[in-house]
Amino acid sequence: MAKRILIVDDEPRYLRLLEANLRTEGYEVVTASDGLQAVDVFTNQPIDLVLMDVMMPKLDGFGATQRIREFSNTPIIILTAKGDEQDRVRGLDLGADDYLVKPFSATELLARVRAVLRRAQPTAEVGGQSRFFTHGSLKIDFARAEVWKGETAISLSATEYRLLLQFAHHVGKIMSSEDLLTSVWGPEYRTDKEILWVSIARLRQKLEDDAHSPIHIVTRSGLGYLMPPIED
Amino acid sequence: MDNQSFSYVNELLKAINGTGDTRLVIEKFLAVLRREFVFDNVATYLQDAETGTLEIVYARAVGRAKNAEADAAWGEDIANQVLSKKQLLIREPESVSESEDRVHQAYLLGLPMHADGILNGALVFVRFGGPAYTEQHVTVATLGAALLSVLFERRAWRKMNDEMGKLQQQIQLQEDFVSTISHELRTPLGFIKGYSTSLLREDASWDAETQHEFLTIIDEEADRLSLLIENVLESARLQSKTLPLRFQPLRLDAVIRDVATRIRVRHKGLDVRLELQAPANIQADGVRIAQVFENLFTNAVKYAPGSAVIVGLKQAGHLLVVTFTDHGPGIPAESLPLIFERFYRLRTENATGTGLGLYICKQIIEAHRGKIRAESTPGQGTTFFIELPINQLTIT
Repeated sequence: MAKRILIVDDEPRYLRLLEANLRTEGYEVVTASDGLQAVDVFTNQPIDLVLMDVMMPKLDGFGATQRIREFSNTPIIILTAKGDEQDRVRGLDLGADDYLVKPFSATELLARVRAVLRRAQPTAEVGGQSRFFTHGSLKIDFARAEVWKGETAISLSATEYRLLLQFAHHVGKIMSSEDLLTSVWGPEYRTDKEILWVSIARLRQKLEDDAHSPIHIVTRSGLGYLMPPIED
Repeated sequence: MDNQSFSYVNELLKAINGTGDTRLVIEKFLAVLRREFVFDNVATYLQDAETGTLEIVYARAVGRAKNAEADAAWGEDIANQVLSKKQLLIREPESVSESEDRVHQAYLLGLPMHADGILNGALVFVRFGGPAYTEQHVTVATLGAALLSVLFERRAWRKMNDEMGKLQQQIQLQEDFVSTISHELRTPLGFIKGYSTSLLREDASWDAETQHEFLTIIDEEADRLSLLIENVLESARLQSKTLPLRFQPLRLDAVIRDVATRIRVRHKGLDVRLELQAPANIQADGVRIAQVFENLFTNAVKYAPGSAVIVGLKQAGHLLVVTFTDHGPGIPAESLPLIFERFYRLRTENATGTGLGLYICKQIIEAHRGKIRAESTPGQGTTFFIELPINQLTIT
């Protein structure tokens, strides 16, 4: 079956360029012209590879990459006129698989696409990854970065959302304060336990029916915190 | 601490935390201080960060030497000594004579002032003819010096902060410009590279129509790149005012007719309607004004294809008003305030451009002391208004 590639760029001429070249190689092509649309298109059909521009209206390519990475391992190649090392590192850190700086030649682009697709694990979509995550009455829409408790939308700060994702991505696993602080706030906050306590208390206020006997984020004294598996 | 002292310290704190003009804050503070600690003269010396010398930053005569002006003691010596000995100093007259003018019998108290823990100045109090400083006086004065230090430090930080903010803003503007320009130059280059390497692919064969399409894009993008470079240079010259404008008497209606004729040749079938009511003369650079009109025509062709372009000219008071109206799709309300910004471009399917055209128009019109603006109703069309003052004799 032909691989389906999503190309995202706000310049129609780039869309045309990429589409024309990819089609000669037998790929199926779908397009989006901004980051939000990209996430939308991505969630509506199986996609094998994303070619993502960076500077776009609404949600830029970094933001869209980050959003997609919350729930999918589909390979992403970032295409951009921004060639600074800092930008390349940022793209890769956010989970992009490769980085191609404009201007690029058609042949190189196609070679990179082949290489990334070769490396990609065909089973990437398996393994419980999907756009939505549920835990009891708690529901996360990774694509829209929205959190729901039953029918009520919960408003979380960016940090609270990242903290919640740590739990959602590791259900059943106890995470130490140091791990959580490092991955959410950064290594320099590793020992700053108090901000973690405050943030977890605030998350519980927002998510739990009873913040004093939590079911979503549970304390394991002396070990850390976890989101326990819930049996349906 | 008893209640009275507590409320006194509280008053001092309130005064030193006052907002507004530094001098007024100090004055109010000293007025409170003086309730428990009398003095005639007060002077604050701070070390100049560059030269290390003491500069007087605040001085006030409130008591006996009010009219003695520069003749009275202001404690410069003791201030220098405080700084070199790094400690509080008291100087009292060696002998007190009843006959001598009290202004010549100065009792001095010099207190160190600190910023961020570093000794950087001295606060000097002067009493003429006594009384001598008691231990309690010194305690209150020391508190006063500490609080004043905090005030000066805070003000210095704020000043530095403001300056840094301004500097940062300038750097940001410059960086934005450089990064935008490199992005803008890379975009057409990216198309040229991408489409030409597509045609050069040995493993693909493109049909004649696609080849033509790609070559057209390469050709257009090469033009866009060279126009972009030209425009960037021109707008930089306009900005730095090194592009000389040649002002001469001009009939605006004649300029409009000329440009319209040229446009009709270039875009056959374009419906241009001229409604020129005012043949008034104006002082202007004919080449530059023609460039503005040409740009507005070209924009209409690009963004309102198929629509007629109606050009109006009339006099309104001391202004000549030129209007360019089309009945195209219009400009979205959120884009309208941005169209005269450097590098702003309406993204439409077919239109290419540098994002500098209207920016340059604005610069040219403003160099003529005029104004340019646009009104647009989506679905109905757009009108550009140019207002030029008729009496421009003052332009140099």
